Formats: sequence, C-alpha cells, structure tokens
Amino acid sequence: MATNKSDFTTLYNEYSVLVYNVALNYLQNVEDAEEITQDVFIQLHTSLHKFQEKSTLKTWIYRITINKSLDFIKHKNSQKRFFIFGKKSQNELELLNISNFEHPGILLENKEKAALLFGIINELGENQKTAFLLSKVDGLSNPEIAIIMELSISSVESLVFRAKTTLKEKIANKFEEYRKKK
Amino acid sequence: MEANNWTNDILNSSNGITKVTPDVLLFSKIQNRISIQNTVSNQWIWIAAASFTILVSLNVKMLLSNTTKTIVPTETIVSSVSNSNQLY
Repeated sequence: MATNKSDFTTLYNEYSVLVYNVALNYLQNVEDAEEITQDVFIQLHTSLHKFQEKSTLKTWIYRITINKSLDFIKHKNSQKRFFIFGKKSQNELELLNISNFEHPGILLENKEKAALLFGIINELGENQKTAFLLSKVDGLSNPEIAIIMELSISSVESLVFRAKTTLKEKIANKFEEYRKKK
Repeated sequence: MEANNWTNDILNSSNGITKVTPDVLLFSKIQNRISIQNTVSNQWIWIAAASFTILVSLNVKMLLSNTTKTIVPTETIVSSVSNSNQLY
C-alpha cells in the first residue's frame, strides 16, 4: 500500500467531487456513482505508486473513472440481456428506469428536459458519449478531452459534432410524442 | 420552428449544471473497504501457511508410517520361525 493516510485524505478531498460527478453523468444513478467512486479511490490507494506521471494525476483519475463507469454499464447491460431470457429480478425495474433519472445538479426548471436528454445520451456510442459528456456537461475544452481520451483534437471535435447531430435527430423524433402529451 | 426550439431546449437543458458533492459517509466507507481488503489478504497468507504446514507434516507422517509397516511383517516371520524351531 503506497499511499499514507494523510496523502490519501488529501487526494480524496481534492478529487472526490470530480470522480463522483463523472460517474454520476455516466451512470445516472446515485448509488452506482457512489460505488464507482469507492472503486476508483480503492484503486488509487493500491496503485498510486504505479502512476508514472506520463499524464497529470487529474487526467489519470479521469481515465480510471471513465473506464470503470463504462465497464459498469457493460456489466449492467449484460445483466439486462440475461433478464430477458431468465427469471425476473427485483433489480430489473432499477435497470430499466435509468432514463427517468433526475440529475441532482440540474436546475429545477430543467429537470424534466434534462431527464430526457440523459436518456438519449445513453443511446450514443461510448466515444461519442464520453466526448459529449466531458464537453457539454463537465465543461472541459477539446484539448483537455483529447488528452483524456488519447485522441487528436480534430477527432474530439468530430466526435462532439456527431454526438450533437445524433442527439438532435433523436430528440426531434421524440417531439411528436411530446406534442401529444401536451 | 416549434420542434426546433424544443430540440434546442432539451439539448441545452444541462446548461448551468452544478457539481454534486458525494455523501459525507462515502470516505469512511472507502476506508472500511480498504481495511477489510488488508485484513482479508493477511488472513489468506496465514491460511496458505497453515495449509502448507499441514501438507508437509502429513507427508512426513505418511513416510514414517510406511517405513515402520515394512519392518513389522519381517519381524513377525522371523519370530514365528524361531519359536517353532521347525524349518519344514
């Protein structure tokens, strides 16, 4: 165990909000985001001595969090597929309700709209989702995203553009549904 | 036009998002998990050491019991022969 107690506390105080918010944006579930935050900090505790400073600590933490969140989603989706054929579980409702998530950091007047947005973001591919979330929700610049995703800046620009286009199309498709409700 | 405005409203609904602070108990949960992880790993080291010792002692015991078993039958044959004093 490479990190001592006071170092680890400092690390937690500095990065817990970042890790928790990135996980929350990906998973759209408070309990799951807490679980990922725990996993990320346990990994940091055990492998901080392996950090080679090829990137900044912040970038490294972003990468760990994103990878853990994506793995968690894959695992959840595989469970979802299993439930289609297998016995129904109590967790099934929780798995299917992911798009009804109301982000606690969203302004009250935008809650309903943002819930729809987050539901549609889930339909994007991994790279587009990451680029969009980091750019639009986390507010990072394209060069910062490029470093985290280990891509060129132009690739990130393209990913964000394509994500926005796909989202616009998908949201427009939901407009009729919205008008009927109104 | 209405559809376009609505689409843009949805797309911009994450504007002004604020950072959320995790639960205050989260740090103690992490520390608990770290300490459990450490205890478990020590436990496994002791379990592995104990199993190895048991395995070695069982092997030694088996070896010793095998050598005494081979001695016993020859001793009994010799003693029975000498007692009866008959060779055929």
